Amino acid sequence: MTQHVVNVLLSGIFHASILFLVAAGLQVVFGVQKIFNLACGSFYALGAYVGVSAVGWYTGAGGPAALFVLPLALAGLAVGAVGVVVERGLLRFVYDRDETFQLLLTFAVVLMMEDAIRMTWGTSPRSTAGLYLTYGQVPILGAAVPVYNLIVIGASLAIALLIGWLLTRTAFGRIIRASADNREMAEALGVDMRRVYATVFTLGTALGTLGGALVIPATAAMSEMGIELIVEAFAVVVIGGLGSMRGAFVGALIVGVLRSIAISVYPELEMLLIYLIVIAVLVLRPRGLFGGAAA
Amino acid sequence: MLSVREIDVYIQASHILRRVSLEVGAREVVCLVGRNGAGKTTTLRTIMGYLRPRTGRVELQGRPIHGRPTHEIARLGLGWAPEDSGIFPDLTVAENIEISTWTRPEGRPAAERIERAYRVFPGLRRYAARKGPEMSGGERKMLSIARALALDPEMLVLDEPFEGLSPAIIPAVSEGIAEITKLGHSILIAESNIHHVPEYTRRLYVIERGEIIFAGPPEDAWRDPALTRIIGSAA
Repeated sequence: MTQHVVNVLLSGIFHASILFLVAAGLQVVFGVQKIFNLACGSFYALGAYVGVSAVGWYTGAGGPAALFVLPLALAGLAVGAVGVVVERGLLRFVYDRDETFQLLLTFAVVLMMEDAIRMTWGTSPRSTAGLYLTYGQVPILGAAVPVYNLIVIGASLAIALLIGWLLTRTAFGRIIRASADNREMAEALGVDMRRVYATVFTLGTALGTLGGALVIPATAAMSEMGIELIVEAFAVVVIGGLGSMRGAFVGALIVGVLRSIAISVYPELEMLLIYLIVIAVLVLRPRGLFGGAAA
Repeated sequence: MLSVREIDVYIQASHILRRVSLEVGAREVVCLVGRNGAGKTTTLRTIMGYLRPRTGRVELQGRPIHGRPTHEIARLGLGWAPEDSGIFPDLTVAENIEISTWTRPEGRPAAERIERAYRVFPGLRRYAARKGPEMSGGERKMLSIARALALDPEMLVLDEPFEGLSPAIIPAVSEGIAEITKLGHSILIAESNIHHVPEYTRRLYVIERGEIIFAGPPEDAWRDPALTRIIGSAA
């Protein structure tokens, strides 16, 4: 029994770690740019495919299997650079437009990215075949837990702490928070908003692509995976509160663990359960658990 | 220092400013006085680059700045304190003041700039660790002006620095501004009431319906009953 509970909880926390990365990207972009970026799911999918290719290239070149997580994470981060292209090439033209317009544009990016992924990697699922258990499993209270899951959970926690430190303790973070508070005033104090937006959007994108790359040893890359994750990230953001980093953290934990419990108890309820909670939050606490904070 | 020459500004289809011109010299304090809606804030926002004049020029030390983005205008040496103070609520008082030392590293060393900001409004020192929402209206105005000074600008642009303040706190703000002029900065102040115009003001412009209707020393404005009717209400 404990073995089963540990398995369910840890696989939930693993999923939450990935979900947190994507939701954190969504939150930082919303906090500063006030754009709800649906394309965060597409960046996640892109990171997954690039991760598969990077690992394939790495093992093909004879790299030791024990270090596969390095090319995986690096590729996931590097492809985040696509954020600059999307921000400078598309989004910057709609900052002064209506929110509906911005939402439509990011949805267009979702559709384009899905096709771009199909054209590049084909339609059949791709995976890193067998690397998942490279690091073995450790027994925790009788359950065999893949070490890779623990690595990802640790990495995600470290990133959460790093983001917190960046936002509250560095000049860069204070400039970001000032820009989120009052864009016009920040400009009058010498803040170049074009650079802030490009940096923030790239940061948000890289969090999503890294999440996609890190999930890939545990699952297969599929072209629809982006859309599925947008739905979950949306739930995280509603539960945690739009724009809040702490909200992303707690929301991801709630959604990740509940989803895992639902899958083990009654799989048909997986999405229903999450949405019941989303509805409850919207009714009882519309701003989410940590709503109102800027970043 | 700053020279605004015959600017025409539209907001959407409305013609807000008509051939507005004004000059602020080195180390000079100039007041732009007019009723609410006369065009004061629009003039200042055009100088700061938030709005673009359809015709006319704005020059800072001989360099045209109209059409440039606001952050460049700030870095060229204009410090801005808006009417609503624009305090970043999520940052502490100290962080609010320090921000421009990161965005504009040139000029005086950061420590000196921060020290000057606190010296002008010594009361702020006690609140350094507090956040914006915990401050009174007067403290916010002071922080807003101190923060603009920390940018180390050639000139400060202050939109209604005495607006909404209790009579008890106005002298503290006014003395702080006088202190800034002693440090060698020029100041342009927008004000809706001639009674609030500080005594150290050299020159006065009166704006009415988007047009400058008077330019000259404050004593001359006081002598004109037509002007004091417009901008002298509710002393």
